[in-house]
Amino acid sequence: MPSSVCLRRLSLAPSDLTAHAMASRSLLAYTQTASFSQSAPLSAKPGQGKPAGPARGERTLNLGKNKKVQRDMGKRPAPGERKALRKRVVLSNTNALVVEGLNDLTVGNIETGDMQGQVVGLSEPVIDSLRAVEAFKATQGWHLFRRPAMLMRRETTQVSALMRDVETRKKTVRRILAGDRASGKSTLLLQGLAMAFMKKWVVISIPDAKDIVSAHTEYAPLPGSNPLQYTQNAYTANLLAQIAKANSEVLSKLLPGTDLKLPIPTNRITTLADLAVLGSKNPELSWPIFNALWTELTQPGRPPIMLAVDGLAHMMAPSAYLSAEAKPIHAHDLVVVRHFVDHLSGKSALPNGGMVLAATSGSNQPGSPALKFSVQLAEARAQGATDLPMWNPYQLVDQRVMEVLKDVDTLKLHGLDKRDARTIMEYYAASGMLRKQVDEPLVSQWWTLAGNGNIGELEKGSVKMRA
Amino acid sequence: MVFIFGKPFADPDLLRHSLQTFFGIGPQVCKRLMARHYLHPTIRVGELPNPKILQLNADLAEMKLENDLKRQIRDDIGRLRDMGTYRGRRHAMGLPVRGQRTRTQINTARRLNHVPRYTL
Repeated sequence: MPSSVCLRRLSLAPSDLTAHAMASRSLLAYTQTASFSQSAPLSAKPGQGKPAGPARGERTLNLGKNKKVQRDMGKRPAPGERKALRKRVVLSNTNALVVEGLNDLTVGNIETGDMQGQVVGLSEPVIDSLRAVEAFKATQGWHLFRRPAMLMRRETTQVSALMRDVETRKKTVRRILAGDRASGKSTLLLQGLAMAFMKKWVVISIPDAKDIVSAHTEYAPLPGSNPLQYTQNAYTANLLAQIAKANSEVLSKLLPGTDLKLPIPTNRITTLADLAVLGSKNPELSWPIFNALWTELTQPGRPPIMLAVDGLAHMMAPSAYLSAEAKPIHAHDLVVVRHFVDHLSGKSALPNGGMVLAATSGSNQPGSPALKFSVQLAEARAQGATDLPMWNPYQLVDQRVMEVLKDVDTLKLHGLDKRDARTIMEYYAASGMLRKQVDEPLVSQWWTLAGNGNIGELEKGSVKMRA
Repeated sequence: MVFIFGKPFADPDLLRHSLQTFFGIGPQVCKRLMARHYLHPTIRVGELPNPKILQLNADLAEMKLENDLKRQIRDDIGRLRDMGTYRGRRHAMGLPVRGQRTRTQINTARRLNHVPRYTL
């Protein structure tokens, strides 16, 4: 680059050279910025140079010139498709071996109690009914085996004994199924439902209490109720559809005996199954129809009723619904929940006998200190403890929950004993899902690793981790 | 297609989101508005029964929304300026109004704090 100083020196006259001899030396030092220059960078207008860096938030790497980077979104899933996939329940694995000598659960072997400690299969009609009431959960390991089968554990026998008691003495049994996470509470509930279906009871099951309180279905105040209660027409209609489908065999043989008192023509209703179907098709009338169905089912001579719910803790807290004043509605003010809770608390009895089973959930439960305390209290009471646990007086208590659960008994699920653990592991091996010799050391090892025979952990460790 | 407050919304749109497109309805107002009519938070526009749409429209008509609300805010700022208050002056200068530092980070104030706040 030519120096601007050199050009300037050429313009000076010879006489000036001596006069500026000393000055020129100093000029060399500071006249680096001249008023005129041919150099390209300096001749540019201010603000046209390369910017120091990208503006904030701007993407820097953009290889295609003037092209927007378009992500390939593919085909969007249809409405409900992802949920259907998430909730999909697979009950068969064609790669699993058929287990020889696997007997089905029947009314006969429920009664005798012979099947305790054995793995039993479920017959097709019962599976259909259980599917209809959404008793199988996607998180359970049904998809690993050839067909649904379950271990008849000690607690299952207790439930079947209670059911026998209900049938003979027409009493109402109320139990909360409690236990550690993955201890088999939902499966025990399913076993209870399966036995009820086989015994031709009427089964009304709320598969997940979360769905009823999470404010994902419509709600409306119930006219004339005091204190104000709320109906959920869409949920109740769906519940009636489930009742109709799961209990079709029983309900289609029961004829309405009383005047139904419904605001629509009922002359085409010949059986209670028709009534339930009618309710499922008319959501705006689903609650009156549910009530009419319940009135019919509690008439003398009707079969016992099994009321079941999974995820009880959701019912024992304020729901996500809001009142007109935008305050949370307590779950007990929702009519379907109220109906269930009245039977769980013993406020309403089942005249033809029946069972109210409520399973807690270890993995999906909102904090419900009152429920937790009530379960602890019931366990202490069952053990005959003299010093019962006391509520911390400095903690706020949901009085409604305490009131409802004050005398409900629990059925506590513990880990399997080693003999039952061996039985279920032999079943895993016979299905080809556990490729090991099931012997005493292996059973002992897995039993210990599964937290003293927690069945969910046992399945997870021995089958799911390897499948 | 459902018209709410004169604006069309597609059936699969969430009502919650649709209501919040109006100036003056945010999450809290929307929550209270929907609770008043017993509409659950996940209801979609297409699921609204006709009487509910009419009730919602009646309620929205009574509320100060969109240009009316913008005009009110603009007038309020103008009033502050006319009275010669500190807040009015700060608005007029496009500077923070509530005692924030002005050495850095006053882009929001520069963007928003003007006496003619909204163009209607």
